[in-house]
Amino acid sequence: MLSICARGLTKEFRVFQSRSGLLGAFRDLWNRNYRIIRAVDHIDLEIYQGEMVGYIGENGAGKSTTIKMLTGILEPTSGDLTVNGYHPHRQRREFVKTIGVVFGQRSQLWWDIAVKESFRLLQKVYRVHDEQYEKHLRRMIEVMDIGNLLDQPVRKLSLGQRMRCELVAALIHQPSLLFLDEPTIGLDVLVKDNIRRFLKEINQEFRTTILLTTHDLSDIEALCSRVIMLDQGRIIYDGDLQRLRSKWGSGKKIHLAVEENVSLKQLEKYTEGLAVTWSKRTERKVSAVLNHDTPVSKVLACLVERIPIQEVQIEEDSTEEIVRKIYQGGETNA
Amino acid sequence: MLSLVSLFLEYLKQYIKTRLVYRWDFLAQFISDLLFQAVNLIFILVIFSHTTQLKGWTQGEVIFIYGYFLIPWAFFASFFNIWTFNDRYIIRGELDRILTRPVHSLLQVLMENMTPESLLGVINGIVVMIWGMSALEIEWAWYDLLLMILFIFGGVAVYGGINILLMSISLYTDSKNDIQPIIFNIGNYGRYPVNIYHRLIQIVLTWILPFAFVGFYPASFLLDQQAWRELAFLTPLVGLSVLLIGIVCWNRGIRHYRGAGN
Repeated sequence: MLSICARGLTKEFRVFQSRSGLLGAFRDLWNRNYRIIRAVDHIDLEIYQGEMVGYIGENGAGKSTTIKMLTGILEPTSGDLTVNGYHPHRQRREFVKTIGVVFGQRSQLWWDIAVKESFRLLQKVYRVHDEQYEKHLRRMIEVMDIGNLLDQPVRKLSLGQRMRCELVAALIHQPSLLFLDEPTIGLDVLVKDNIRRFLKEINQEFRTTILLTTHDLSDIEALCSRVIMLDQGRIIYDGDLQRLRSKWGSGKKIHLAVEENVSLKQLEKYTEGLAVTWSKRTERKVSAVLNHDTPVSKVLACLVERIPIQEVQIEEDSTEEIVRKIYQGGETNA
Repeated sequence: MLSLVSLFLEYLKQYIKTRLVYRWDFLAQFISDLLFQAVNLIFILVIFSHTTQLKGWTQGEVIFIYGYFLIPWAFFASFFNIWTFNDRYIIRGELDRILTRPVHSLLQVLMENMTPESLLGVINGIVVMIWGMSALEIEWAWYDLLLMILFIFGGVAVYGGINILLMSISLYTDSKNDIQPIIFNIGNYGRYPVNIYHRLIQIVLTWILPFAFVGFYPASFLLDQQAWRELAFLTPLVGLSVLLIGIVCWNRGIRHYRGAGN
C-alpha cells in the first residue's frame, strides 16, 4: 500500500523584492516587484507503507516545504498529492489523525504544563480511548525512559529529554505515518542512539512509515533503507544507500606501507589487468585507487607474494563525503 | 460537539493548573483590570462634575451604559482577546503545530489563549450597572433579561469577529502591524452614547466597525430609549454577521498561509 503518492508536486512562493535606498523604499510603497521562487519543482514520490526513508538536501533545497505539503500545512501550487489516502490540505482535519509530526527545532508540546498533562491534552485532541492510550503510552514511556520527566514542565527539560518526549507525543494516536524533521539535531550520541532504536522498533512492530529529514547522515545509515536527495527543488537521487555509494563514491582506496622501495612501474605491472591507479606518497608509502568493480582482495593477492608489505589500510568514502561531493557538483554531475 | 466540550474543559483544566503556579501574576492582572475600569469611571464622573447632561444623557445613564459594556467585554477578554497572535503563531511558527492537529485551527488558537479569569469583569459590570440604575427609574420587563443575554452574545460576537478578522491579516503577511490597537481604541467609543459624536463617526461605529452594538445600542434599549430601538434588536444579527465574516476570512487565510521560517 502506498503511504505517500505525489505526481508533479510543485510549490511556488511569491517573494517581495525591495529596491535599494530610501527612494527605492518609497517606490516600493506604490509598485512592488515580486519574484516567483519555485521551492519544490515537479516532484514525483512513491513511498510504501512500512518504509523508512531519509529525505536529504542542502538548506533551501526544498525539504521543509515538501514536508509541509505532505503534512497538510501548505497547499501545493500544482500537482497531485495523496497521503494515507487523503488530500492533506483539503481534508486536513481527518488526515492529520493518521500522521505524527516532530519538528526538531520547534516544540510540539505545551511549554508551561507538565509533560504528562501535554500527553493528556493530546489524547483528548486525537480522541484516543483511555484503555488504548494507557497501554500504548506506558510502553512508550518505558522504552524512551521518560518516566521521571512526566511531572516536569516542558520548558525545564533539556533538549535530549524534550526530544524523547516529543517523539512519544507524536505517537500517542498511533499514526501509520511519522514525519521527523531534524529529529536528532543537537543531541548527544547516547540520546541519538536511544531515539534510533526506538524508531526501528516502532517501524518493525507497527509497520509505521517514517520519513525523516536530517543533516546527520549517520541517522540515515542507521535507519533508512532508502534515500531521496533533493537539490534546488528537484529529486536528484532516489534509491538505496548502497547504490548511492557506488554511483558517486570514488571507489575504495588501498594504502600500503612497504619495507623496501618499489617503483610505480613495478606496481602497475604486478596488478596488470585490474583497474587500479597507483600513486606514491613517500618513499615507502604507496596508494591505489580502485574502480568500483575491482575487488580489494584481488589487488592484494597480486601483491603479497611479490613485495613485503608492512601495513595495509583500506579506505572508503563516507556517505557524508559522497553527499558533499554531490552538493558541490550540483545537478549536472548527478 | 460533546467531544469539543470535553476538549474545552481539558484546556480549561490545564489553564487553571498553570495559572495557579503563577498566582501573584493572577492577582496583579485582576487588580490592574480593576484599576483600569475605575479610571474609566472617574473619567465619566469628572465630565459630569462640569455638566449635568451630555446631549440629553444623564450621569446615571452613561454609567449604566458603561457598566453594560463591561459584560460583553469580559466575555471577549476571556475567549477572544489575543494580542500576541502574530508573534507567537506566525513569526515563531506555532501555527504549524496547530495545523497538524485534528481540531479546527481557530478553535485551538482560542482555547490555547483563553483567560477565563477575565469573566470576573461580569461582576464589575453588574455592580456598575446597578450603581448607574440607582439614580434612574428603569422598568424591567420579564423579557428584558433574556434580551440582555441575547444582546451580550451579539456584542461578544462583534468584538470576537473583528479580532478574528484582524488576526487573519497575519495569515497573509508576516510583517508586524499595529492595526489591532488602533481598531480597539476605536472600539472604546462604543461604550458612550453615539449621538455625542460627529455623524461620520456614528456611521463608522454602526455599519463599518459596529462597536456601537457592543455597548451603546443594547444598553440604550434597556434604558427604555426608543430612538435606537430597531438598532438594538439588530445586535444579535450584526454580531453573527461579523463573526461569520471573521471566520470566513480566517479559513481563507489558512489556505493562504505560507508557513514560517526557512
